[in-house]
Amino acid sequence: MTNSMSNWIETLEKDLGVEVLDSPAKLQYFIDVEHTNVHQTLAYLRHVGFTQMSLLSCIDWIEQGKFQLICILMNWENGVHMLVRTMLDRENPEFTTITDIYPGAVYYEREIHEFFGVHFRGNPTYQKPLFLERWDDMPPLRKDFDPQAYSDSKFPRREHPHVFKTKVVEVTE
Amino acid sequence: MHEVQKNDRSLWEVVGDYFRANSIWMKWYCTGCGAIEMPPTMTSRFDMEQLGMGPMATPRQADVLLITGYLSTKTLRRVIYSYEQMQDPKYVVGFGSCTLNGGIYYDSYATINQLDKYLPVDLYIAGCMPRPEAIMNSFGELIEMIKKGEAKGWKHYKENHEWYKANQMDSLGEVIIHDEFHE
Amino acid sequence: MTLMNFIYGFLAVLGAFVFQTSLTGINRKVTARLQKRRGPKWYQQFIDIFKAFSKSSITHGWVYDFGAIMALGGIAATVIFIPVAGMQAFPGLDNIFVISYVLAVGMLGMAMSAAGSGNPWASIGVSRALTNMLAYDIPFMVVVFTLIYQHNTGSVSELASIQQGVGILGWNFFKLPLGGIVSVIALFGMLGKKPFDSFIAPAEIASGPMVEYGGKQLGMMFTLHELMTFIEVSLILNLFFGGGETLLIYMVKYAILYTFTNIVSGVMPRFKIDQAVTFFYKVPLGLAFIQGLLVIYLGWGY
Repeated sequence: MTNSMSNWIETLEKDLGVEVLDSPAKLQYFIDVEHTNVHQTLAYLRHVGFTQMSLLSCIDWIEQGKFQLICILMNWENGVHMLVRTMLDRENPEFTTITDIYPGAVYYEREIHEFFGVHFRGNPTYQKPLFLERWDDMPPLRKDFDPQAYSDSKFPRREHPHVFKTKVVEVTE
Repeated sequence: MHEVQKNDRSLWEVVGDYFRANSIWMKWYCTGCGAIEMPPTMTSRFDMEQLGMGPMATPRQADVLLITGYLSTKTLRRVIYSYEQMQDPKYVVGFGSCTLNGGIYYDSYATINQLDKYLPVDLYIAGCMPRPEAIMNSFGELIEMIKKGEAKGWKHYKENHEWYKANQMDSLGEVIIHDEFHE
Repeated sequence: MTLMNFIYGFLAVLGAFVFQTSLTGINRKVTARLQKRRGPKWYQQFIDIFKAFSKSSITHGWVYDFGAIMALGGIAATVIFIPVAGMQAFPGLDNIFVISYVLAVGMLGMAMSAAGSGNPWASIGVSRALTNMLAYDIPFMVVVFTLIYQHNTGSVSELASIQQGVGILGWNFFKLPLGGIVSVIALFGMLGKKPFDSFIAPAEIASGPMVEYGGKQLGMMFTLHELMTFIEVSLILNLFFGGGETLLIYMVKYAILYTFTNIVSGVMPRFKIDQAVTFFYKVPLGLAFIQGLLVIYLGWGY
């Protein structure tokens, strides 16, 4: 890491009041923020040069009872990727839209609503279906969704007439 | 389901089957990863044009529909549309294990497991994915089948239309496409 | 006009179809060899056409059906007027204007039928085809007018026979080289060969006017395409390459000219339609005008 880069990181840390964590990848950092602070963090980052939002995604941490939203930003001036991560409550997942800051997020928000059931206040179109047509079950990328049971209920499997049983051979030395 | 009778072709159909066997135009609808096996099959290494086969741009002009890989429910709606637009002696070839029994997507919530419940498949090619050699071999097989009048999937689809439609409804809910571009 | 005229006309259409379809099949093999492939059988084009006729077909309304029949009829009628090696079904009726007017019936039928299918790709294809026609026709007609002015005749068979007898240098292609080059470039546009095939581009607009054709109508379109190719190549052959003294010479010359266009188009990319129009209005039109001025004021080519 060059000296100017570390100075730049320190300035970011001071202005945002959070710790900028380094990642194994080159020129890639991430910060964890409270979900109430996400918007001002994103607005600040956009102001300092992170003009591109590459991805808005979600992870289901079912044991902690949380959803994690991840927003990947890129700065074209120095090639730095910044991952902004925040935790949401899993029982009542609600978030305010970030389309005011990054308008391209509108389709990502529709996708996250479709696959995880997160609601985005302030985005009028987030409930429209994007990928799944006529979906009739819980959001499918939640960890408690059982794809095997859904597949069995909807799509018939081929009946195989022959079942080949494996023979277990004990290896003794 | 009742089976289609064999060997009840008139002389005109025998002659027509000769022409149809030697000139198979495919509707190349890329549904999965198998589509990448088609360029080597078409170009100079394997050259399917020596069998009289060639790609065609629209379903109206095509004779054979290649299902090249896994089919999501969303794609299946479009495939059924395309199949029903094709003109009558028409054939379906399923590529790879995904169309046979689901393949590695056997437990996916979005892909079907068995193609011949929804469309009449004349020929399956085993493999994940089948290599161009296997594809060329299977096209030779398809030509033989058409010459002998054994590729009768399209008649089967007509005679068992309710059965196929019921299966499509069970899995898809509705075949009509509703999205932002078709409203 | 006797019965023999009509029998000859029928035989001309049949012979043109068989000859051009075989040549197309051979040229598919030539293209395959260019791409280091083995290629189809030489009679593959016949199998394709007969297979298309053996399939079922649907209708998209009477405009679509009637247009297809009108196109095939118009083009087949035009073939009768084409003089082949001095032979013609109806002597004296082979004026270039007669041919272009009767050809327009077929072209209009095709445009009507394709637009009647109601598919947006077909409409785009037809509009591109007509734009393309406008592009190549103007330079070509300027050159044809120069020829008519020079020889005081519009009859295709007379224009062909004038060039015969003095060997290869008697051909208009060598007497009027600029006009000859323009006409060969226009031939590429007429035949829809690359680089001027944007109106039937399969990957961009799903084969354009042909998008809704299937089964028997597709077979009619293929037959029509073979006959139209025969008309266009014959026209250029008669006007610029001296026609043919005998049928055999005519066929050999024809095969060489058609194979030449095919080989060139095999190594060409595709122009966008606006690029094609710009090209035709810049280079061939300029050459055609220069040729006309040279003929009229300097007396070239006499």
